[in-house]
Amino acid sequence: MHYVLQYGQVTPFLSYFLGGALISLVLSGLAFCGGMFFGLVGALCRLHGGPVLSGLVRAYVVFFTNTPQLVQIYVIFYGLPDLGILFSPFAAVLLGMTLNAAAYLTEILRAGVTSVHRQELEAGETMGMNHLQLLRFIILPHIFRVLLPPLSSQYIMMVLGSSMAAVFGVEELTGRAFNVNSTTFRSIEVFTLVAGLYVLVTLGATILLALVARYGFRARVKVL
Amino acid sequence: MSFSDLLGQLPRVFTYYNLLLLGQAALTTLLLSAFGCIVGLVFGLLLALARRSHARLLLPLKAFAFIYVEILRRVPFLVTLMLFFFGSQVLGFDLAPLTIALISTSVISTAFVSEIIRAGLDAVKQSQIEAATVMNFGFWQTLRLVVLPQAWPVILPPIFSYFVLFIKDTALASQAGVLELVQAGRILTTKGFSAFIVFGAVLLLYFVISYPLARLGSHLESRLGVSRHSRARRPIS
Repeated sequence: MHYVLQYGQVTPFLSYFLGGALISLVLSGLAFCGGMFFGLVGALCRLHGGPVLSGLVRAYVVFFTNTPQLVQIYVIFYGLPDLGILFSPFAAVLLGMTLNAAAYLTEILRAGVTSVHRQELEAGETMGMNHLQLLRFIILPHIFRVLLPPLSSQYIMMVLGSSMAAVFGVEELTGRAFNVNSTTFRSIEVFTLVAGLYVLVTLGATILLALVARYGFRARVKVL
Repeated sequence: MSFSDLLGQLPRVFTYYNLLLLGQAALTTLLLSAFGCIVGLVFGLLLALARRSHARLLLPLKAFAFIYVEILRRVPFLVTLMLFFFGSQVLGFDLAPLTIALISTSVISTAFVSEIIRAGLDAVKQSQIEAATVMNFGFWQTLRLVVLPQAWPVILPPIFSYFVLFIKDTALASQAGVLELVQAGRILTTKGFSAFIVFGAVLLLYFVISYPLARLGSHLESRLGVSRHSRARRPIS
């Protein structure tokens, strides 16, 4: 039960960890952008796609939100090679995260699009706004005010979820923690340090997104 | 491997003993998430109460609850799990993988559930608590007879959807060697069965567990919403 913490053996790896944190952020950022694109397409299909397309998107959303992302990536990374489709670890994780994010973002975006009222657009038109002004002053602030809190928390969840890339050998923050752990054997130091980095990174992302919401769209977002 | 080869493998994969393995693994998955949620409910309630308290004496507890919740919600489950996994070995505790996974699921879910409960408790109007104080209710009486019955319909739906979310998070417990669904899938693939079939089956099993619970959750949400609505419209006498 006697254990001396020796952070000195782990701190030389700090820049290595920070590089890993950057990979985590890039991975989840790419997956988020892809998910936003497919989510927007999915939300529009749900709202204006007719019964067949809307039903297909609904089935997709139900399936992907009710199964674990880890197993989805397992199927992509270990299962699809049986059918002759091979992915690199990074591509497999990115694809799995994108497909998963698309399902959640479809639901989030659908709620946002339906929150703009027709009367507000008409009021804008009456005041002589052109299409661009309507978009800038009415539609976007409205949608972002409703959507930024759930979108921001979805992004944070994705940064945390990107840690499962380590399972497939992607060297992001958690993957690099595994590497350093297996060379220094300072498990408690390594994983507490990495946990701290995750807290800092996600807190930074939350604050940044809240500032964007506050000064870009006059929306108030709670940080803590 | 062609698609017809995969189809030919199906009867060899789904033998009695393989299905038994998958079934037991599914039970472990359920155990992990149910245990995590129940412990999370108990400790989450205590943490939420600590964060709401105004007593000078409870200030350290309040600070602890704040830091615990804010930090644990921003650390990935995998990192927490590995911290407990390697930490218990380094410190010389000889714990089974299942015990480690149960501890880490409880620790994580306590943080998330306490936030849900806090939001539910905040939804109860302050005047209700003041009225209870005027009627000389004690702290626990106020909580049990006034606050919790009103907070419960607000708390239950998000707790339920969190529970469904949590079932999927426990998939990561396989990385600590717990024999739950993903680990059972990994065992079957090392036996030489096609990973596509095995993990496809695991995916379907998760869906079979999660989907009815998700449906029950949304049903519960609409029913609680309706009952609250009708209660509000009902004449008082």
